[in-house]
Amino acid sequence: MISILGSTAIAAAAVSSLAGLIFLLRGRGRGDQRLIDRGHRAVIALFVAVTAAVVALEVALIGVDFSVRYVAANINRATPLLFRIIGLWGALEGSILLWAWVLAGYAALVAVRYRGRHQETVPLALAVLLGITSFFLLLMLGPANPFGRLSPAPPDGRGLNPLLANHPLMAVHPPFLYLGYVGFAVPYAFAVAALLSRTLRDEWMTVTRRWTVAAWSFLGVGIILGAWWSYEVLGWGGYWAWDPVENAAFMPWLVATAFLHSVMVQERRQLLRLWNHALIIVTFLLTIFGTFLTRSGILGSVHDFTQSLIGPLFLIFIGAVLVFSVGVLLLRRDEVRDTGSLPAYVSRESLFLLNNVVLLAIAATIFVGTTFPLLAEAVAGVKLTVGPPFFNRLTVPLAMALLVLMATATLLPWGPAPRGALRRFVGPGLLSAALVAVLSVAGVRGLTLGALAVIIFAAAAQLAEFHRGARAMGRAEGRPYPLALVALFSANRRRYAGYLAHLGLALVLAGVAASSAYRTESDHTVSRGEAFSVPGYLLRYDGAALSRHPDKLVVAAAVSILPPTALEAVPSRPAAAVPALATLYPSERLYPQQRTPIPTPAVRSTWRGDLYLVLLAVGPDGAVVLKVITNPLVPWIWTGGLLMALAGLISIWPGRRG
Amino acid sequence: MAGTARLAGLFAVIVLVAAASPAPALARSSGLDEQVRAIASRLRCPVCQNESVADSPSELAAQMRALIRTKLEEGESTETIVAYFISRYGEWILLDPPRQGLGWVLWSAPAVILVVGLAAAVRFIRRRVRPASTEAGAREDWDG
Repeated sequence: MISILGSTAIAAAAVSSLAGLIFLLRGRGRGDQRLIDRGHRAVIALFVAVTAAVVALEVALIGVDFSVRYVAANINRATPLLFRIIGLWGALEGSILLWAWVLAGYAALVAVRYRGRHQETVPLALAVLLGITSFFLLLMLGPANPFGRLSPAPPDGRGLNPLLANHPLMAVHPPFLYLGYVGFAVPYAFAVAALLSRTLRDEWMTVTRRWTVAAWSFLGVGIILGAWWSYEVLGWGGYWAWDPVENAAFMPWLVATAFLHSVMVQERRQLLRLWNHALIIVTFLLTIFGTFLTRSGILGSVHDFTQSLIGPLFLIFIGAVLVFSVGVLLLRRDEVRDTGSLPAYVSRESLFLLNNVVLLAIAATIFVGTTFPLLAEAVAGVKLTVGPPFFNRLTVPLAMALLVLMATATLLPWGPAPRGALRRFVGPGLLSAALVAVLSVAGVRGLTLGALAVIIFAAAAQLAEFHRGARAMGRAEGRPYPLALVALFSANRRRYAGYLAHLGLALVLAGVAASSAYRTESDHTVSRGEAFSVPGYLLRYDGAALSRHPDKLVVAAAVSILPPTALEAVPSRPAAAVPALATLYPSERLYPQQRTPIPTPAVRSTWRGDLYLVLLAVGPDGAVVLKVITNPLVPWIWTGGLLMALAGLISIWPGRRG
Repeated sequence: MAGTARLAGLFAVIVLVAAASPAPALARSSGLDEQVRAIASRLRCPVCQNESVADSPSELAAQMRALIRTKLEEGESTETIVAYFISRYGEWILLDPPRQGLGWVLWSAPAVILVVGLAAAVRFIRRRVRPASTEAGAREDWDG
């Protein structure tokens, strides 16, 4: 029953999508406003239909209707409600449905928001969005049907992949990722529409600026939450493995970041018009490519991938989008003219160009590293691995170069640098020199010290700009400093939100640098009541307990954190008598759908870093093997990443001056 | 209570079989630990998706770490040990692809991209600079 409803909804969505496409293109061609209005209504109908399909799948998931193959394959009766709901994005077909739903939602927002405005571009942009949606609907009508049926329905389902059912972050990470990924379709659609309709000025960019920043922020949140999830669930104490799935999300974010900067050069100097079109096209292509990488099964093996139609269909779609976009770009190449000029060799504008080069070089490096094993296997039949060492060695120097550019471009004004511009470097320079000296005394050495020096300088440059602006405003308007700071921010939200995002980046990289250089890891076999120490902590194992849950068995070891000097003060004191500061419960979880138990780490965070415990094994005598990782500054990564995304949203929040 | 203990025992057996990480001795040279980790983090865990032997919780990775340890204790050099794993699994086992043959394409591509990009940016800047211009766009506190 639900299957029929769902399939009907998807068919209705496909009809709306195609009808809308025809209405919009015809209406625009004939200048027929009634047809265009009908097209707008078709977009709304599309959204309603895809929403109905999502609701149908959710009803099947929540109601454990195993006559739907997707439900039977991905959840079972023991799956808790939250994880039944998020089963929507637990596997391929549901993810495609989510993609289509988000895209239809964006299209509907565009249709509502721009009804009767921007007559030249909006119908075309909507048509482009409908074209993309049609592809995903086609996938669902064919090889990725989320409503395929099983007859007879099995008594129980297979259950969600335990790694996905193990942490509530799985409830928020994919939706944010998709909001980001799919959000870039809007600026892409407007860019293409601007080219096609020859409204070649900068209108599309200002129209879509908010959409682009929103997509960038959501994608940033998605990436950070994904890293956090992997840290909290996978149990190796790391957050980023340069896995193709991670790279797939990171690449469009990098190119979009380049776009957000070079767009400012276009707005100010009427330069880089063609370049910015190209950047947004590349960003969008990368989001499709990322969906292809993660959803076609190509990562498992190049050979698996031909077993289903989905991979080849995706490749054809990517090829079509590529040919279409590049074709449109080439067609209008001579008409998209730069009319402005640069005022000086050394200026913020020039630094933004270099920023673009570095960001794209990072993205290209990741692209080459991610696709190389696939190409080597497909073309030369050679099996190769491109792992973290490659990515780290090449992207870390580029990231440092990026930070230097970021600091310099923040301190230099637009246009020719005035006399005395160099003086702005003194404050942040001194501040960071002092901090670096402190770090050096604390024992930080070598490349880590160098990296931290660059990071601190980049952060100090942002703070200096806040300070300089607030002081000037305080003087000019006679306000006290804190109020001046607030006034400065709200008067110039876009600019200072940008600096806030830079600060977030500095926090992220400080966390990455410190946790890469000063992570410690050790394995300990301990019996009950035994105390043991790791760098910075005194720990005691207090015994293990088993608990049964409807969907899993959990064996948790209680590990107490003791005051670090508790045993030194009274050497004869038994460890068991020391009161604990806190207790952590790393566990092993056994899910019926999985043969091997899943170690689930326990993490204690402070601003200085994390204590990360993994239960490796439990012996029959109650002794356990624990992996203990100390990981400095890791919480800075989450804080910084979320700060960046928040800064993006602050900059576009509707307000008096927008 | 007794039932729980029996369940715990049962579960412990499963955990032991699955994790099968040979319980590491408490006292041992941390230098050896680091050598094992250094080698293990260069190798790909053959049964995982994109995890190193050092980081993977899988049984096979644990066995490989134990093997590396044994070989180190027998006095084999890092390169001999790595070569042993290459001979068994192929170059695919290396997380860092070799810098030869096809590998060169990979390692040089980013540098080529960076150089081409920088050259293009410098060329663009040189062609576009008209130092005299001080148009309206150059206001300092502009806000879009």
